[in-house]
Order: sequence, then structure tokens, then C-alpha cells
Amino acid sequence: MKVVKKVKVKNSLGLHTRPAASIIKILQPHKSSVCFTYKDATINARSIMSILMLAAKRNAQIVVTVDGDDAEITMQKLIAGFESAFGERE
Amino acid sequence: MYLVQHLYEQHGKFLGLDLLAGKKGLNRRIRKAEVNRPGLSLAGYLKGLISKRIVVVGKQEIEYLKELDPKMRKERLKIILTPTTPAVIAARGLRPLKEMVELCEKSHIPLFRANTSATALQSRITFLLLEEFSPSLTLHGTLVEVFGVGVLIQGESSVGKSEAALGLLERGHRLISDDVVRVKKKEGAYLVGSGPELTRHLMEIRGIGIINVAHLYGAVSVRHDKAIDLVVKLEEWDDQHFYDRVGLEEKFIDILDVSVPYHILPVKPGRDVSLLLETIALNHRLKGMGYNSAKEFNAKWLEAISRKRRVIS
Repeated sequence: MKVVKKVKVKNSLGLHTRPAASIIKILQPHKSSVCFTYKDATINARSIMSILMLAAKRNAQIVVTVDGDDAEITMQKLIAGFESAFGERE
Repeated sequence: MYLVQHLYEQHGKFLGLDLLAGKKGLNRRIRKAEVNRPGLSLAGYLKGLISKRIVVVGKQEIEYLKELDPKMRKERLKIILTPTTPAVIAARGLRPLKEMVELCEKSHIPLFRANTSATALQSRITFLLLEEFSPSLTLHGTLVEVFGVGVLIQGESSVGKSEAALGLLERGHRLISDDVVRVKKKEGAYLVGSGPELTRHLMEIRGIGIINVAHLYGAVSVRHDKAIDLVVKLEEWDDQHFYDRVGLEEKFIDILDVSVPYHILPVKPGRDVSLLLETIALNHRLKGMGYNSAKEFNAKWLEAISRKRRVIS
């Protein structure tokens, strides 16, 4: 199953190292393949370096593509993470 | 989308460009990696005129325009300065005609002066634009240079790509990029990979964190870019899968329509992946020198059994 959604970066410093590590942590128990598309690059969201390479600023729109058996739940958790700025204070 | 502004900002110095008029048109889009010397069009022959090219005027064009009467001059200039012309460049530091400056300013076409000859400009701009317009792709993988061979290591997350690369670095090989590789097709025939500026020469190793390879192992351990000669996919060992045991058949993978030799390398505890990657790279070099171990052995074997008498070993 494939789910595609747009999310907004809420962290004031953008997707820096700490939120990138949080994303990896969220994805770890899930099997689905997860891709982020920002500007002209599509990357594997399970790689910290790839997420950092995007250099996504605050309010950047990222297209998240989740493909696999547990796509729905993975997407839900990811969106919750983005919504809460990965636990960082605004 | 590639704009005149990008060309000016990135390569203006190299090309010796000097903006004279039409600043408002810097956001014009360049759609063709081609340059137009408008000789024939200025003489009035318009069949097959490609207006999307950057126009380069040299000494001859300027001299010719000077000889025309003012009304004609304006008319002919209007023909080459179309709404889709990205920019106009006067070569050899020539001063463009007054009408040219006026027309460019009015219709917002950037007009530059360059200090090199028209021929040099033509080839340089074509080269730069071809480079810019060449198809590219971002891949998940690690690119290393092993014995001069560009090896792209692919595979699922946590299969051990970065660890294998680290092992190779320790043996004196070089890292181009870890995790994210920008691949560009050059001259329509081969692939060149490089790392994104921001994360260049950085690696993430589980349990250690982010390390800077250039600092840890020195400048000798890194490279900016490298042609991709072969792709190795690391895979968790699967007992159901039959792995290549002889190497007689060669597999290929298509990246941007370029066919690259492809190996699947199963990983399991006890297999020294770095050593195996070194062996694959060396074998690739050997094949390039015209020696294929598997085929050579096969030929030898066939010869041995076709001999009448028994081979006494």
C-alpha cells in the first residue's frame, strides 16, 4: 500500500540533526519504505545524511511517500512527529 | 529551470561577462544548450532560425550591422532579438551598437560583453550548458573509489554500506559520498557521481554518529567526484536465493539509460565485505585489461576434456 502526503516543517531551525534523528527513530520499528521529496531531490528517509542534505528550512513543504504493509500507521506517526516539531519547543 | 541569472552568477567570471543592459530580463529561461551566431539571420535569411539559443555576436556581425542603414539595422536586430532569446553576448569586448543596447533594454533581454573571442565563447557556453542540462538523479548508496574503480555500493538501510566503506577507507581507498549520491550522465555515455555540498565527506555510523572522513583520514581519503564503473548491491544472506558462483554471466543495471556492471553481494557474519569489494574492483580492472578469469578457466577446461589422452595432473 502506498500513501503520499504533504507535510510542513515546524521546527524553527528546520530539519536539523536532532529532528532528523527523531525521524529515523520513528521509522525504525516500521517496515515500509519511506521517501521524502523536497525541491528536486527524493531521498530515503531512513538515512540521516540524506535528510540533512535536503537542508529543509522552517515551513518547507515536504512530500512524504510511504510504501509497504504498515504504510498507514507509519504515516500517522510521522505526521504526528512533524506536527509536534519532534518534541522541540517552538 | 535554468535562468540567465544562474549562468551569470555561476560562470560570469569564467566567461568574463559584463552586464550592459536588460537587467530586468535576467530571469529569462535558457532552454537550449546551444549558441547562435546570427550571421545569416542578420543578412535576412530566416529559415530555420532557432530563437531559443543564446546569441553571440562577434566582430563580423557588429561590422556588418554598422554598414547597414539605420532603419534596416533596427529591423534586422529585431529579428534576432526575439521574445524567447535568453541573452545576447558581444564577444571580444566589442561595444555593442546603440540600437542593440536600446532594444535589449526595452525588451528586457540581458546584453553582456565578454572579453573572449566569439568561438571561445561559443564552445565554453555550450560546454557549461550541456553540463547543466545533462540528466541527473539522486541515489541512495555510497560511492567509493577502489583501486581507481568507481564502485557504487547500494542496499537497504543498515545492511552495512557505510561500514564497508569505512573498511575500504582504512585500506587506503577513497570516499566520494556516503548515503546520498548525485549521479550525472556525461556526454550521454557515462555516469559521474558526487556528494551534495552540504554533507560532503561526512558519514553516519550507527553507534558512533556523524564523522568527517576528510578530517579523520586526511585529504588523501576523499575525492570530489568519480565515474561510476560498477554497482554492487549488498543484501542480507538469503538461503533461498542462488548467488553467482562462477561469474560467467555478467549482469548489468540501467541508471539514466547507461548500462553499468552489477553485482549482488550477500552479506553474512564472517564475510569481510571490504575485502570482497576490493576483489570485485580488481576483477573489474582485470576484465578491462581483457582477462576474464571465469571465461579463461572455462576455455581451459573445455580444452582439457577435448584432448584425446587423459590429462595427468
